[in-house]
Amino acid sequence: MLILVTEYLFKFLVIGSAGTGKSSLLNNFIGNKFKEDRCHTIGVEFGSKIVNIGGKSTKLQIWDTAGQERFRSVTRSYYRGAAGALLVYDITSRDSFNTLSNWLRDARTLASPNIIILLVGNKKDMEESREVTFTEASQFAQENELMFLETSAKTGENVEEAFLKCSKTILAKIETGELDPERIGSGIQYGTGTSKRLSAPKKPARMTPECACRV
Amino acid sequence: MLSEDGIENRHGPPGVNSRSLSSVHSAADLEVLREIEHVYFSPPSEFDAGRHVLENAPSPPTCEAIEQMFTKLKRQQQVVSGKALHLISQQRDNCDREFAEIQNIREQLTKTLETCRQAREHLRNSSNHLIISTFVILANVRKRQIIRSVLKSLELLRSLRSVEKDVADLLNRKEYYEAIELILKSRKAASNHKEYTCIADLATRLQDTLDMTEEKLDSVLSSICYNFDENLFRKLRKAYDLLGKTQAAMEQLHMHYSSAVNETSVEALKLYITEASIDLKFQEMCQSVQPNKAPICLLNLCENLFLIMRSYYLLVNWHIKHDEDETLPTSNNVFEIEKNVSREYIRQKLKAGLIRLWHEVQAKVSTFLKSSGLEEYAFEKFIQMLGILRKLTQVAEVFCGDKSDILQDFIKTQSVSYIKNYHRGRMEELKLFLENEGWEQCPVKSTFNLLNLQEFKQFKKYLSPTKADTSIVKSLSDGASSVHSQDDSVYITKYFNKNTNHTPFEIFRNENVTNDDIFGLEPELEASDESDDEPEELKREFVDEADRHEYSSNHNEKSLESPSRVKESVIVTNTTLSVLRNCGQYLQICRYLPQISLEVVMLMNQLFDYYFYTVHLFFTSDLDVASSTLYTTKLNLVLKRISNSIDTNSGDGDAKSFPCPDLPQHLDMTSEEKLHGLSERIVAVESVIFLAKQYELLQPYLESIVAPHQKLLLEHFKDNTLAVVVDLRMPIYMCSASKSVDARQSLIAMSQVKWDVKAVAVEHSPYVDLLTRKIQVFAIRLDDISSKITLNMTVLKSIWSMVSKFIVHLLVEGFSNATKCSNAGRGLMQLDYRQLFVKLEKISGLKPIPYQDYVDRYVKAYYLPRKGLEDFIREKTEYSNKHLLALIACACENKRDRQALTAIIEGKDVLN
Repeated sequence: MLILVTEYLFKFLVIGSAGTGKSSLLNNFIGNKFKEDRCHTIGVEFGSKIVNIGGKSTKLQIWDTAGQERFRSVTRSYYRGAAGALLVYDITSRDSFNTLSNWLRDARTLASPNIIILLVGNKKDMEESREVTFTEASQFAQENELMFLETSAKTGENVEEAFLKCSKTILAKIETGELDPERIGSGIQYGTGTSKRLSAPKKPARMTPECACRV
Repeated sequence: MLSEDGIENRHGPPGVNSRSLSSVHSAADLEVLREIEHVYFSPPSEFDAGRHVLENAPSPPTCEAIEQMFTKLKRQQQVVSGKALHLISQQRDNCDREFAEIQNIREQLTKTLETCRQAREHLRNSSNHLIISTFVILANVRKRQIIRSVLKSLELLRSLRSVEKDVADLLNRKEYYEAIELILKSRKAASNHKEYTCIADLATRLQDTLDMTEEKLDSVLSSICYNFDENLFRKLRKAYDLLGKTQAAMEQLHMHYSSAVNETSVEALKLYITEASIDLKFQEMCQSVQPNKAPICLLNLCENLFLIMRSYYLLVNWHIKHDEDETLPTSNNVFEIEKNVSREYIRQKLKAGLIRLWHEVQAKVSTFLKSSGLEEYAFEKFIQMLGILRKLTQVAEVFCGDKSDILQDFIKTQSVSYIKNYHRGRMEELKLFLENEGWEQCPVKSTFNLLNLQEFKQFKKYLSPTKADTSIVKSLSDGASSVHSQDDSVYITKYFNKNTNHTPFEIFRNENVTNDDIFGLEPELEASDESDDEPEELKREFVDEADRHEYSSNHNEKSLESPSRVKESVIVTNTTLSVLRNCGQYLQICRYLPQISLEVVMLMNQLFDYYFYTVHLFFTSDLDVASSTLYTTKLNLVLKRISNSIDTNSGDGDAKSFPCPDLPQHLDMTSEEKLHGLSERIVAVESVIFLAKQYELLQPYLESIVAPHQKLLLEHFKDNTLAVVVDLRMPIYMCSASKSVDARQSLIAMSQVKWDVKAVAVEHSPYVDLLTRKIQVFAIRLDDISSKITLNMTVLKSIWSMVSKFIVHLLVEGFSNATKCSNAGRGLMQLDYRQLFVKLEKISGLKPIPYQDYVDRYVKAYYLPRKGLEDFIREKTEYSNKHLLALIACACENKRDRQALTAIIEGKDVLN
């Protein structure tokens, strides 16, 4: 049996209104086929993938939430402690774009105010039915300090990039110390096997300023 | 002259005719002439006239006779001389004339001679000219002939020289027979012209060409392995026949097939491995294939190998047909016999080759599978892999009638190990799900069951409760084996047809293909018939909000008054659904791999166990009531059994146990307002119960897919695990129930009551009101919960049961704290708890209040006579010693009795 050694584990959320293609995004990302006629997600589904970010093997634990209102109570309980989130809207649906701020608020209050969120305009392949322009979405992203990408779960365009971009940002924030993996509820854990090796050099680094303060 | 005279005389005397008339004497002369003896006319050489006369002299030689004779002779001589003279003179003119004639002739002759001479001269001249030119011509002709033959040789040489090119041309045009023929002819020609020195070189070149051609033929032959082309093969075979190497070619072809299997296997892998690993052994190559590429790689491998198998199959078929076409009459001809032997040899070879080739293919596929990290396949890919292998075994059956036991065994062992690994993944996922579970009720419609899940669509017809058992068995056996394999073989045979470019593996490249298509299972027609009315629901609308709201509003009034409505509610969590979905997938594996059904079902049960165990672990962690009566024996056994398979030391777990889930941090289990997470507890417990029900629903189907002797295991699971889950309600609900009233506060309140009163009180004690108020608060909070989740009557009942159980115990505890108690005090106790129960009944809707016997019996034991009291303390083990001692202290006024009974109670301790 192959044991994959990972250095980090990030908890991810995929959120957004019903029918925006969240599950398709996730499935595309973890390597499943695109299904044209997919059912609504019930509750929460789960997928994980190990990706390499800047030479670090990182396991993404992705919770794909149901977009339907009726599942809100079920899905909310999964927000806690997520390190990153893909906030998905459908570029062919104005409604899905309009509800973004609600989703955003939920994510920031329920998960963590520091959660790294990437705005995803899905269904890029359906240019002819576009209702939300790239510019206005970019603007929304800028106003709310989100990253932004337009993707197509059908063609796979930008799907991996979306997850990777979000992961990279998290990793960068860990490295600058902005995010502390050891804080409970950070949504970040050290991966299998390497936790000791990894945390060892980290600790003295954090000790130094403390020592400096005391002296 | 005389002779001439003589001759004339023989015809008559020459002058008779001419001179008889001219002379008067002629008559006499003639007479004389006549009288001359004839003999005198003889030529002088033969006749001697003198002698003659002498001989004929007259006998008496008298003078007279001699004179007479003389005269006569004289006379005769005169006549003859005259005659001769006469004749001479007579002939003179003639002579002169003749002479002149002669002269004339002589002249003519001279002229002629001259002419002749001239003619000859001319002739010589002309002949001289003519002969030389003729000779030149002749010589030229001869030369030409020679040159022609030289030219022919040269042309031959040239053609011999160009044989290489021509052969190459012919080969390009796939005219192998002609090419070989050409070479052989050329060789023969070459050997006929050994006299030329250059031929020697040419001959070696021809040999080279032949060798090269044979090589070319060989390479074409090897191409047959990948794609059997009847025409091409016929040509090849003709060529080999000509070479007399048919048999050798067949041997060679078999070798080609072997190497083709090797090469194609490597080829199939090449795309998926890095450059560096191309030189490795096949097995090592297999190992270096990236796991995510392995399924497609396997597909390529099988497809490529199939093409070789098809080519071989067609080859064998061709031979069979070919043999039939030209079966030779049995002949005594040595050559024919030899040919037949060779043919028979080839036939045997081909027949054996089928099996051999399949074994080689099988070995390749097995090697690949063994080293390709099958465990890492995604579920869909694994199913696909099974499908591919299934197809392959079907192909093998058509190909050589082999049942592919090796592969089958391999599939089984690999499947078991895959499913175990897959299961491990599912268990990890389940752990994650459970740890993250919010224990919120998933809004599903009230009639929801697992059949509504897509994963169970295929099982609908087996699970439908309206169906008789027989139909299950029947349809199952239908789906299982023989009928299909026969259809399959016909179906597979199609792909062995030479005119098709398709392979049976193409189906796997189709994105839309379902697993059933792959496995050739019949589509679920019956099921769709039944669900005609709700296909949409099946997909998404089993989630139902309307129901919930309706119910909630009803509930606010008085839930227990509408039991029919309440009964229908279903409490499931996200994790429950995910477990059920996994079950669906597990069952799909069973469908495709009926031989490992039991293993899969056991793993499925493990999912349940884990869920069950986790719920217990999470929601009894704060159980602060130590009551052995909360756990039934069976529940304890189940929990113990499951805990054996769970690694509670988190960390170095062996392969068999699963890590224990960590207690969730995100659940609020302490808020009194939320009844210490009662809502979550309810959802958790009820979801386990629901899950158990779903498992029970599956039982008949599960029993039908495992071997008969394995059914017992399933029954055991059903009776000892599934049936026990309801017992989980007690300890878990007790966690909240026990916090419904503040035990310490209540006990203090109870201790303030004076039990040794003289008169029976009319009013119940104040602590009853305290408890009632707490219960009322609890009820209100429970109502809040029921606005969020659908609580059915059973749930409410069990919650209230726990509340009452707790209160009953609390009462006993409180009562046992009274060291002194009068009759009236006992009465007060009764009054108190009756009053409490009336309130409780009203609030909870439970009637009668369960467990009230516990306090009732305890309080009333006070009234028992000594004997009864003794029996009571001996038999009622549910009361603690403290309770019993307190009872005795109050009930026994007689000190001796009290000591005796106390001794009994203390003795019980020793016994235990």
